[in-house]
Amino acid sequence: MAVSMVLPTMLSAEPHVVGYERFHAGEPSFDGGAILYSELGCANCHGGSIVVTERKGPSLENISNRVDRDWVKAFLKDPDSMRSGSTMPSLVDELSGDEIDALLAYLASLETSAKYPTARHANAEGGSALFHEKGCVACHAPTPDFKPPHGGGDVVVSPLAVSLPDLQAKTHFKALAAFLISPSDFRPDGRMPHVPLEQQEAMDVAAHLLDFQSSNPRDDAKPIAPWPKTTKAEIAKGLELARQLKCAKCHELPGVDSHSIKRAGGAGGCLSANPVKSVPRYDLSFEQRESLKIFLASGGKGEELAHLTLAAMNCYACHERDGVGGPIPEANGYFIGEESLGDSGRLPPPLTGIGQKLQDDWLKGVLEGDVEKHVRPYLKTQMPGYPNQAEKLAKWLVEKDQGSALADWPTDEVNLDAGRKLLGTHGGVNCITCHHWGEKMSLGIPALDISSLDERLRPEWFHQYLLNPASYRPGTLMPPLWPGGQSTVPDVLGGDAEQQIAAIWGFIADGEGEPEGFPDFRPGQFELIPEDRPVIQRTFLNGSGTKAILVGFPGGVNLAFDGLKGRPAMVWRGRFFDAYDTWFVRKIEFQHPASDDVFPFEETESEIRFRGYYVDESGNPVFMLEHEGRTYEEAYSVTDGMLYRKVMWQEGEEPSITHPRDVEVDRVVADNLVNFVYSWR
Amino acid sequence: MEMRLRIFVAILTGALGAASAEEEAYRVTDLLTAESPTHSRSTEWKPGDGIALEVSGMEWIDDTLAVSIRKGEVWMIDNALAEDPADFKYRLFASGLHEPLGVTRDKDDILVSQRAEVTRLQDTNGDGVADAYLTECDGWNVSGNYHAYTYGPERDGQGNLWVTLNLGMGDLADNTIGWRGWGGTIGKNGEFVPKALGMRSPCGLGANREGDMFFSDQQGTWIPATPIYHLKPGVFYGNQESLKTLEDPRAPFQLSAIPERKQLYPKAVASSKEFVPPAVWLPYNKMGRSATDIELIDEEGKFGPFDGQLLVGEFTNAAINRVFLEKVEGEYQGACFPFLSGFPAAVVRLAFAPDGSLFAGMTNRGWSSLGNRSYGLSRIQYMGWNPFAVKEMKALPDGFELVFTKAVSFESLSKGSLSMTSYTYEYSSAYGGDEMNTKELIVKSVAISADGLRVKLGVEGLRAGYVHELRLDGAESVSGESLDNPDAYYTLNRIPKK
Repeated sequence: MAVSMVLPTMLSAEPHVVGYERFHAGEPSFDGGAILYSELGCANCHGGSIVVTERKGPSLENISNRVDRDWVKAFLKDPDSMRSGSTMPSLVDELSGDEIDALLAYLASLETSAKYPTARHANAEGGSALFHEKGCVACHAPTPDFKPPHGGGDVVVSPLAVSLPDLQAKTHFKALAAFLISPSDFRPDGRMPHVPLEQQEAMDVAAHLLDFQSSNPRDDAKPIAPWPKTTKAEIAKGLELARQLKCAKCHELPGVDSHSIKRAGGAGGCLSANPVKSVPRYDLSFEQRESLKIFLASGGKGEELAHLTLAAMNCYACHERDGVGGPIPEANGYFIGEESLGDSGRLPPPLTGIGQKLQDDWLKGVLEGDVEKHVRPYLKTQMPGYPNQAEKLAKWLVEKDQGSALADWPTDEVNLDAGRKLLGTHGGVNCITCHHWGEKMSLGIPALDISSLDERLRPEWFHQYLLNPASYRPGTLMPPLWPGGQSTVPDVLGGDAEQQIAAIWGFIADGEGEPEGFPDFRPGQFELIPEDRPVIQRTFLNGSGTKAILVGFPGGVNLAFDGLKGRPAMVWRGRFFDAYDTWFVRKIEFQHPASDDVFPFEETESEIRFRGYYVDESGNPVFMLEHEGRTYEEAYSVTDGMLYRKVMWQEGEEPSITHPRDVEVDRVVADNLVNFVYSWR
Repeated sequence: MEMRLRIFVAILTGALGAASAEEEAYRVTDLLTAESPTHSRSTEWKPGDGIALEVSGMEWIDDTLAVSIRKGEVWMIDNALAEDPADFKYRLFASGLHEPLGVTRDKDDILVSQRAEVTRLQDTNGDGVADAYLTECDGWNVSGNYHAYTYGPERDGQGNLWVTLNLGMGDLADNTIGWRGWGGTIGKNGEFVPKALGMRSPCGLGANREGDMFFSDQQGTWIPATPIYHLKPGVFYGNQESLKTLEDPRAPFQLSAIPERKQLYPKAVASSKEFVPPAVWLPYNKMGRSATDIELIDEEGKFGPFDGQLLVGEFTNAAINRVFLEKVEGEYQGACFPFLSGFPAAVVRLAFAPDGSLFAGMTNRGWSSLGNRSYGLSRIQYMGWNPFAVKEMKALPDGFELVFTKAVSFESLSKGSLSMTSYTYEYSSAYGGDEMNTKELIVKSVAISADGLRVKLGVEGLRAGYVHELRLDGAESVSGESLDNPDAYYTLNRIPKK
């Protein structure tokens, strides 16, 4: 596997903030300025961001055991050259070489004894699949080794992709894996969220990102060069420089004070086209500067729109809200899931009115990254966690959407029996035709489990949603079951939509029992048992292909004929076949005989064409076959636990015949006819 | 009036919701609706107990209705025109089939589709039960994926038997070989003869009065809304998931160009000679969500005023829609209208009985519908009262001509809100698509014929390749009846020159 990281083409060294680039790069605007003001860290020195989640720099703790010293040095001098579009400003233009070394010595003093996980093996290919399926490519560029199932064509890298540095030059395997397991330990501001990964999965993704060629991490893992020894004087000098440079405004640094900094404005400041050397240099584009000026001219006072925070956090990479955002076209094909559910089976849900939809605790849990709160198992893309921001974000989203506290709906006096009936298929609205109920699979498509939605949804939202599902998610497969507010089930609760919805909620919230209509399937209930005559059933049968014709004979011997290859495929003794899946399961898979006592036939090279079968007076099948233009027949029957096979042809040689393995074969030949008896002694 | 009231009550018990004029003109009788809505799957049910009539195919043989059902059986319902369903005689004709989705009579035999072949069922000893299951046609790829369905066979006016092959989806799906996404005919030696590709889930087939074949497809990947297509050789219908099948040397044609995705539908259609748009779009939600069987009304008035038109079954909405087609510059296009709704389960198959009544075969299996029963069989009889409806909607160079079933009140048209919008879709691999480029059109003139049956609408800004949605809210007949369905949707692929 060859992986080459494709970086987005950056035309200039300006900082790259996705939420700005995607929605506001075209024309200077207040919103664009507000996003930049937050995401470039302006507010860390000057205060006044209206994005609700603080933007901070990464942790520098233990950096000397995680990041290559030359890389850090080069990054300090010119951040954009080491990570395209970096939002880290250039700060060290005035420093001498010795001073930069002192700063690095200070950084080295932040060493801890943290240990990083080790791996016995790492599967870069599996890591690639995780990287492309779990949602990483919602923000980062895909790699050409992996093709989305429906994307087709070549990998197209969006200019919106968040660039990655040369990870091989920057860091090492264990540190990268540790970072992927818990990004917030290293980047506390949530801009890189916690994608749910098991430790081994994180190792695999790290191996992919580092382009490992072998599954043994030791073969590929290059340690970083040890940082040189430092003196106390150097460290003290570096600490003083860190104070002067105000590193602690963005990075958490113990012992480095930070004073607030007034915006000076005017020539030579951060925002001027040619900032003086003593201020952070961001290399802003003209449009970026103008946007920031518009924002600042308003005194930083503007409506604290949900849009700004969602854009800053790049929630829009996966989610739509009020018609804005959702996956960009280049990433769209990587969102995969359950195709029979349409786009809602592969795309994360919209955030429109999310604060009205989810209960406070549930919303907070989802944002914290609690995988127990992932209710759509069919989405390959998983909601990542924001442990440091979850509480604030949840509270704020509820405020934004004016999500009420749980209202007095439904009333206590709901009719639980009616709710149970409505959820089910015995004269209800058939919820379980599509939705799972706890452990029970739906009768049809695998839509999400509804047995505990009272724990996550606000009842009022549920009520409104049921009345018009498409108003929340246009194009949803969920049909309007109360079209125009009219019930489709007039004989339950007098057809009153309000009462019916309340009853459904009530039954779910009550938590007792299950809807009517689940098949009480027990193994064997649909077992086909040949009694007087043979029973014939076609299906997909493992070992006999997709055109398998199963014949169960009275007497406990059974045959499967492969209709694609025109040959008997297997014979088995004992119970015949359970038809439940074949008869009733929508998503049928390859089936198996009802007994393990199976004897496969030897394969044949001949190209035999199956032309059908007829049954004789006793119901025994006679298969009609064709080989090189000549037709012949094979009749099967069972007597005394032995399988009789009679091959009959018009003229010429005996057709090519194979027999089951490990079975006694007796053979009797006559003119244009041969009889075989298969028995077990 | 007495009589009418009584029947009205009968309708209410048979169909959900309030009966309206069009529904009053048609009586819907439930013949065999699941009593316990999961009949076949209830704990009590055992193989051989009763008939879980999850209808997947229907064909009339005199007064016997042949019905294939999803679990793999063909039933003969003898005496199926009896007024009282208790007089029906059910006879199991064939069993053990693998998900049959269509039945057609061929002389004394029955042809039935299965996953891997079309099978000829013969009753050679005359005992009323098939004893020969002969391979009539095979040769397509069956990967074992559940979604790779086989539909048909259906006979066109030239006697060709058509079969359509669903795309696979999900685990085990392989659409790259073996004619997935193709429609074709049964060849002389029982081989599948591929004719046209680019289908997704071509679940319904039916010929019109001229004998030309049509099929319905499903909104989904590459297909923004429900389409009805004219099925003919050498055509590409837009779904690119099985383009690789063109590499098979037996492929009957190649595409001169593969249309680019992410452009508006009319533009995409123009970019490839073989790419043919739907003769009629059934806009999503407005006209249901999932078209099924296509059935020609050719009953010499015994089924009301719509002879020559097509009926189209509707799964999710448990309904039946109506389609009017005309030829413009040699190609079919036309309009769709809502017709009947409120069936007890998803309408999957339609078949006209010898007496001119319509039988609707239903099953909710696999998906869900507004009907809350798992399966059913209904009979729809025309009661002889001409319902007030827009019978036809024809394209004119500068507007549309509407033909009503009864004289329309000009006053009601001018007082009512007569409006028209047009829109198209994006050609894209996405699962379904929104209406795009929607524009309100100005109806600048309304001219009515002396008999009140024909109305010409002068419309400014017609757009070729767009769906033109008409609303006639408030329109009334001269005797004061209002329209049940004041909406109609004309797919204006071509604007007639004269």
